[in-house]
Amino acid sequence: MVRVVAAISGNTVRELVRSKLLYNLLVFAALFIGGSLFVAQLTIGSWVRVIVDMGLAAIEIAGAIMAIVIGVGLVAGEVERKTILPTLAKPVPRWAFCLGRYLGLTGLLAVNVALMLVVLAVVLRLAGYGLSATVIEAALLIAVELYVLSAVALLFASFSTPILASAFAFSVFLIGHLLSDLEAFAQRSQSEAARTLARGFYFLLPDLELLNLKAQAANELTAAASFVWHSAAYGLVYAALVLLLAIFIFARRDLG
Amino acid sequence: MRSARWALATVALLSLAAAAAVLRRSAERTAPPPAETQLDVPPIPGEVSRSLAFGFRSLLADFTFLEAIQVLGTRSGKLRAERYRAQDRRLERLLDYSVEVDPKFAGAYRFAGTALPHETVDGQALGVLAAVSVLERGARERPDDWHIPFQLGFLQSYYLHDYARAAKNLSLATQAEGSPPYLGLLATRVAAHGGELETALQLAQTMLAQANEEETRREWKARVDALLMERDLRRIEAAALRYKGERGSFPPSLAALVAAGDLPFEPEEPHGGRYLLDDSGHARSTAAERLRVYGGAHLEVH
Repeated sequence: MVRVVAAISGNTVRELVRSKLLYNLLVFAALFIGGSLFVAQLTIGSWVRVIVDMGLAAIEIAGAIMAIVIGVGLVAGEVERKTILPTLAKPVPRWAFCLGRYLGLTGLLAVNVALMLVVLAVVLRLAGYGLSATVIEAALLIAVELYVLSAVALLFASFSTPILASAFAFSVFLIGHLLSDLEAFAQRSQSEAARTLARGFYFLLPDLELLNLKAQAANELTAAASFVWHSAAYGLVYAALVLLLAIFIFARRDLG
Repeated sequence: MRSARWALATVALLSLAAAAAVLRRSAERTAPPPAETQLDVPPIPGEVSRSLAFGFRSLLADFTFLEAIQVLGTRSGKLRAERYRAQDRRLERLLDYSVEVDPKFAGAYRFAGTALPHETVDGQALGVLAAVSVLERGARERPDDWHIPFQLGFLQSYYLHDYARAAKNLSLATQAEGSPPYLGLLATRVAAHGGELETALQLAQTMLAQANEEETRREWKARVDALLMERDLRRIEAAALRYKGERGSFPPSLAALVAAGDLPFEPEEPHGGRYLLDDSGHARSTAAERLRVYGGAHLEVH
């Protein structure tokens, strides 16, 4: 079965490598990171902050769009076009299909993050700076965030249409960065129902701010290694949980 | 028939183009001034923007900071205070916003400490209290950056004459990694001789030596030059008084003062001008106004 999963993930990578969207996003991110060199000239003081800020933002934005749009298309798109049926007609269990798709996508996302980090390092070098450990840690946590988003995209794609699944996944991305405010809202709210609902969302949704080290990196501050590993582990476990749920739902879905 | 239709279409096109141009001009005339020049507070408070930035708060802070730099770039030489009000308010708002959205933004604190305080021709020091408020927050948020409490100490000593607090903040600066070793001595001097010109000069020269950016260097160079000029003017006036004590009248010129041996040499005016001495023994520069904060004249601090 490992061979089946590997074959599907390999196939997914081959499919995605031909995707125009992927290249467009990569070019966008590279241009954005390169453009930071010119924007940084407008600032007073150290350029490194502007370059790191824009660079990490480009990596995250481009990666999040890839994870959501491509992630949704990998399952919901195939179901909608019925192209999934020939694959499932072979001895391929649905869970292997989902897992293979997920691994292919996340593998590609990891390569993209690494590539964009190299572009960022080159731009920083051109400006006379080096790549700090916090920037690398921030990029690592962005990669973990993209794994979470890919799993979320797959979850929504397992029972919904591509457009709706993309909208839901994008909402999770936005709300995931607002969870501390949601908790504050839950504490301040007068309504018991609103408090319960807010608390429910708080515990249910991924806290993506735990995977956000961009401000630390831009301010040339360090983060405790234990925080980075705990956050990364939290993200990976959450992604695995969501992926499991996606597989569970997809396995029971009527594709006819 | 066809040419009539073409003529009609051309007339309609030209009429519409003319109407659009007229309407555009009249709309431009009646348009309200840009919202940012009218608002004291941003449309979205910084605390809310921090959340709505969805994890990109430091990037948002960069953009407001870059805007603040552009605003400072349009600030012209010394004018009357009311000419600066709108621009200063905008600068304060943008810098306040930058540090509200990203409280760890050390560059914004340092920039605020240099760019916000400035003097006007009508004897006012604007932006000092705003800068102190931003720097106080900066000293709490970034205890690792010695420039922030140092700038705070400078403003408290130079403009507010609050030497106890200034010395405390300078001592705080000595605790941060990378602070110059002589800061501790300077802190002690401020505590003991806060009101002295020499102490203020040393503080300003320290900041000038540490400033890497052109804009910041220019601001600190202006302060150092003003203090050097004040020191020269005081020396000249003291020499003129000695001259009067010996000869019964003030010297007719600076050259006479040097010739009499009361002044070792004619000091070089740091702004590129010359020093003049009047009949009543008062010295002045041909290039710059005398420093109010140390020159005795009243300076209204805002």
